[in-house]
Amino acid sequence: MSTGPTNPSDVKMLPATGTAVVAGAPVAGTASRQLIDLPLDELQNLAEEFGLDATKFRTRQHLVAAVHDRRQMIASLDRDAMLDVIRWGRRPVTTSASKEQLAQEIARISTMRFAGLSHRGLYVLAKMRGCDVLPADAVPLLIQRLRKKEGFFQKISRKRRAMMGSVISKMIGGDATEQYRHLPPGAGAADPAVKPTAASLKREIEDQGIFGGITNRLKKTADSYVNQKLDEIEARIDRKLDEIDRRLGEWRDKEVANRIRILKITLWASVIVAGVALIYSYIKVYVVG
Amino acid sequence: MPDIDLFNFFRLMLGAFVTIYASIVTAQSLYGWWVWLAGGEKHISLLRRYVIVHGLRLRFAAFWGDVIVCILLCVTFLIMWRLHSLIEAKAI
Repeated sequence: MSTGPTNPSDVKMLPATGTAVVAGAPVAGTASRQLIDLPLDELQNLAEEFGLDATKFRTRQHLVAAVHDRRQMIASLDRDAMLDVIRWGRRPVTTSASKEQLAQEIARISTMRFAGLSHRGLYVLAKMRGCDVLPADAVPLLIQRLRKKEGFFQKISRKRRAMMGSVISKMIGGDATEQYRHLPPGAGAADPAVKPTAASLKREIEDQGIFGGITNRLKKTADSYVNQKLDEIEARIDRKLDEIDRRLGEWRDKEVANRIRILKITLWASVIVAGVALIYSYIKVYVVG
Repeated sequence: MPDIDLFNFFRLMLGAFVTIYASIVTAQSLYGWWVWLAGGEKHISLLRRYVIVHGLRLRFAAFWGDVIVCILLCVTFLIMWRLHSLIEAKAI
């Protein structure tokens, strides 16, 4: 069973418009045929990456239809609004990422603290979490829909995690948060060497649970330490290479200068011998002869 | 007994030997470098590019004095050769 993230580029894009869902025979068309050709585990993985609960769909056809609908919905979303959500959720994404990549990252955001998120971002988040909302809906309504979608037990669980996060955060610190930065262009979202700045420990525990939050924080700290050491090693290697290059340059200049000097001495010797020979010939022809 | 000018004989022999020796040593050296740098391995290819880069980075301004002296010496040598030919022609 495949566990890694499905590459959206492996799956062909859908046509921009039109929904082909019909009860009983959910999807028609080339794209859905390509989706239906996928192995079930990959299909479920793809659905979960797009924020769908694959267990809620009874048959393969229903799952294909849901993924198809979800991808069409993502294609219709505003990219800038999606980037608002990414910034707010502090997800590791390049600014040049496609809509589907952005959507996959948004689907991983589970926080219920909406402070700092723009109106259009809230709308995108609500759509991605499956809420029935319109772009014109007011912010309080959007938040209400999102909270309603969360469910009672999930809310209780989140509150418990928030409380634990607060206690642990006070015990070991980690409230400092830095400003969010996008990954540099060209770096993959899955590149472990490049991570975005972290949210506070309290918020991480609230989102991912005690062990998840602490593990994540430890992993990030370890990554940061390893990255720092790798940078130092790289800088040291660069310095050594520069030094070698400089010495080679000096050696090259010295070597060329020596060769030219040897050539000059040889030419001087040749000219002196030619001069002697010329004088000899002159005396032989004009004086003696 | 043939009439041999010893000085002429000496310089002819010296010229011949030195020319042949210098040609052989230069050709050997060039061939060795050629064989070494013509290898298809990745590191040799890298080295080849590095040598080319070093060649391009060579600053002639540092050697131009010696180079001009060498050129002038070559010109002097050719003039002397020409004068020598004129004297030899006069003798004949």
